[in-house]
Amino acid sequence: MNIVISMGLVGVMLSMLFMGLLIAYYGSSKTRNVGFVFLLIGAGLAYYLTLPETYSKVIFLDGMLAFVGGMVGGIIGIIVFLVAIIKS
Amino acid sequence: MDMTMDFNGEMLMEFFVSMLIIGIGVALLATGMFTSYFGAGKSQKIGFALLFFGIIILVLVYLMTFGGVDAIPNQFNETTFMDALLSGVAALGGMVVGMFVILFVLMKVDTVDDLEDLDLEDLEDLDLDEELKKLEEELNEADSDDDTSEEEE
Repeated sequence: MNIVISMGLVGVMLSMLFMGLLIAYYGSSKTRNVGFVFLLIGAGLAYYLTLPETYSKVIFLDGMLAFVGGMVGGIIGIIVFLVAIIKS
Repeated sequence: MDMTMDFNGEMLMEFFVSMLIIGIGVALLATGMFTSYFGAGKSQKIGFALLFFGIIILVLVYLMTFGGVDAIPNQFNETTFMDALLSGVAALGGMVVGMFVILFVLMKVDTVDDLEDLDLEDLEDLDLDEELKKLEEELNEADSDDDTSEEEE
């Protein structure tokens, strides 16, 4: 269960950081302020996940590699699909 | 709250490779289902082929992990594989939850600029009746001009 919560938090952190960055850059007035809040939440989550009592380097890297591996695999699968469709 | 991810820390590539293959399998399965259902003629056949390969990959992964096939035993160790799968699915789930939170907040926050910035005094000074009368007069003038030009012809 710890893996699920930790990696779930990593996912939330990633989306907060990336979306916050986009919204803070492209947004205007209130939207931009909301973007900065998202960035702060993302940074807070990143700090929490790297605290000594919550962070284990090897295990964190394992989890991240599993996530990145799944994403890369999905992209390869979609490229295979596109090649097959375009070539036909 | 103890948040340590206390699963056994195996070699890094064992997590990556197993999830990479799972990712390819799921992507082929999903695109194959989509194409075989909505495609026609050649596209539909390609969809069936993609679906077939997706199923084959996922069945092979299942057999290598839980069945008796020991083709790549390190990468498809049962415990490691389940940890990797849980990590990947949890991270994806977390990203989806994060996106929902962002969308919810953005929809709830009034993103239109402050109404105070809008100069409402100009609108208050407008006399709508007068404006309407002016428009009617202009229209009538335009109509009468058209009539006279037609009569001349």
